[in-house]
Amino acid sequence: MMEPWLFKAALFGYLLSTGGYLASIVVRRVIVARASTWLLFASFSIHTLFMALRWWTGGHGPVVNVYESLSFLAWAVTGGYLVFQTMTKTRVLGAFVAPLSFLLMTITSAGITGENVVPDILRGYWVPAHVIFTLTGEALLALACLAGAMYLLQDRALRNKKAFRFSRFLPPLRDLDRINHLAVLWGFVAFTAGILAGAVWAGAVWGRPWQWDPKQVFTFLAWMLYVLLVHQRLAIGWKGRKAALLSILALAVLLFSLAGVHAFFTTVHDFS
Amino acid sequence: MIFHEKMQIVLVGMNHKTAPLAIRERLALSCGDALRAVADVRGIPQVNEALYLSTCNRVEVLAHLKEGTAGIDALRSFILAHGNLSPDELEECLYVYRDDKAARHLFRVAASLDSMVMGEPQILGQVKEAYRQSVRQGASGILINKLLHHAFRVAKRVRTETAIASNAVSVSYAAVELAKKIFGRLEGKTILLVGAGEMSELAARHLLKNGAGKIVVVNRTLENAVRLAEEFQGVPEEFDRLEEQLEEADIVISSTGASGYVVTEAMVRAALRRRKNRFLFLIDIAVPRDIDPAAGEIDNVYLYNIDHLQEIVDGNMKTRMREAEKAERIVEEETLRFTEWLNTLEVVPTIRSLKDRADAIIGGEIEKSLSWIRDLRDADRERVEILVHSVVNKMLHDPLTSLKDASQDDGVLAYVAAVRDLFRLDGAGKSRGHRGKKDEKGTKEEPS
Repeated sequence: MMEPWLFKAALFGYLLSTGGYLASIVVRRVIVARASTWLLFASFSIHTLFMALRWWTGGHGPVVNVYESLSFLAWAVTGGYLVFQTMTKTRVLGAFVAPLSFLLMTITSAGITGENVVPDILRGYWVPAHVIFTLTGEALLALACLAGAMYLLQDRALRNKKAFRFSRFLPPLRDLDRINHLAVLWGFVAFTAGILAGAVWAGAVWGRPWQWDPKQVFTFLAWMLYVLLVHQRLAIGWKGRKAALLSILALAVLLFSLAGVHAFFTTVHDFS
Repeated sequence: MIFHEKMQIVLVGMNHKTAPLAIRERLALSCGDALRAVADVRGIPQVNEALYLSTCNRVEVLAHLKEGTAGIDALRSFILAHGNLSPDELEECLYVYRDDKAARHLFRVAASLDSMVMGEPQILGQVKEAYRQSVRQGASGILINKLLHHAFRVAKRVRTETAIASNAVSVSYAAVELAKKIFGRLEGKTILLVGAGEMSELAARHLLKNGAGKIVVVNRTLENAVRLAEEFQGVPEEFDRLEEQLEEADIVISSTGASGYVVTEAMVRAALRRRKNRFLFLIDIAVPRDIDPAAGEIDNVYLYNIDHLQEIVDGNMKTRMREAEKAERIVEEETLRFTEWLNTLEVVPTIRSLKDRADAIIGGEIEKSLSWIRDLRDADRERVEILVHSVVNKMLHDPLTSLKDASQDDGVLAYVAAVRDLFRLDGAGKSRGHRGKKDEKGTKEEPS
């Protein structure tokens, strides 16, 4: 059995990379941040191998139960970050992403080693497609929110007009705005594809593609906010602060639909 | 006991702290040609090696001298004669450092701790140039080489391990740093220069040097705009087209003599709408102000006036002072390390450590071959050991004799250093690590 070892290796790699990124902020050496990025890339590769193997041995997409989904989310956030990192050369984001991935993987480790069986209702291709696309979308939208939050911090620092203290760790406004924009754009596309895949599956299994279940309502609300954001960006020419704020608000609603809904409502979207 | 004639490292000079500008400039002027100055110092009979450093803030001579005060007096009179100074003036301004203190001072200079603007990067280049000239004149030897390479390493350590050189300490650099915080790269960015003034032109120059692409000059008198635009290879524009230009520009530097606001909030708001909210960085250097402060409240507009910039500079200056303490500790550490190396250059310790090394090698080899030596008869074993010892002693005899003979010459240091290097007496790993790639590159510059 290779899988548990691969999982542990990836988890350990995320931990090392987290340590590296945090250290790089303290010691202020580019080389440390660069090493951490390679560590993160290595962990990501091992993680990819782990999921591929699990898919192979389990015979179904590796994203059916909660733990698998969290593991996938960590994978998608890391992958998204690595792509943006090569595009914009801003390693600071890694100091947020690596700990996040490590946290998600730690939660995952509580249940991932359990048995690898799937209820009949979740078999087929639409369920993995739904989960993979929505989670990829959510990972990218989370990255957008992170970049937005960093944008607001940098904007604040520049407006306060004090000598830079922690603003020196933050990337330039333009880069953050670009990450925010691209992550929202791609995330929105993936998220939409995921919802559509879910609707197709629901149409086949429940007979109705959409039924205004509480979870669906909040998801729709979040989706509308992203529609608004993309529209304002592309058509009205929004840039900077407003876009950053809206991407944070939209993610809050999205997180509620992802996790919070289960605490306050009963939803058909419950397979535990 | 064998002792070579004692040598000393001496540094004499004056800097911006000890000498007023009038004296420094007289000295810098008369020395003018640095190559000649090196040659002159080298001409002093007590001087073995020499380096001459002259910048607008300092004039220093570093020399490797024979023991005694005669050499130092000669260096003093060299400076006295060159600067055409009175002995009183000289006494007031001149400092003399010897051995470890000379090394420490050189390290502090190279690390920019002794500069007028602490942490400024030019001084290291100037020290390197001085060293190059000393090498070219054949005035550098084992000591100056070692000392200077050590100084470059100290400067590098200080630069990478402390934040002494990070963050702008001038208003125009602060503007560049802010622009980078907003735009990231300045490539392709357009600067709009409104009015003219020394500080705004300096800021524009720094921005251009850091990649900004284009510059547009607006002035109440078109002639001035044309003149200034020519200087920057920019585009002059009529003053009443200022509002249009706000649409194109990314960075606006304003310093007109106008009594009211030249750039109003409404103008900025309108421009921003037309430019689809692209970031706009406004720098208001004028007193009274040119740009309505309310414009700085608009999203995606960043407005800095002269006080804001000055405040940043002051803050950064304080940071540098804090970082300087760290740098001083590095200098102390490295001075100690250099002194240790200096002490190993005596002949006697070198002979001793060479013998120790030979004994250690013999011991180690015999240990290794113990398995077959044990099989020998007692008498044979003894013979083998005697043979080994005598071979090694014969081998060492000539080098050691040469070394002892050389201790009577001035050239002994080169011998000692070569022996230490050849036999790796400073520890194999350490001696390798001691001379990084940088050092090797440096020695290449020496004429063969």
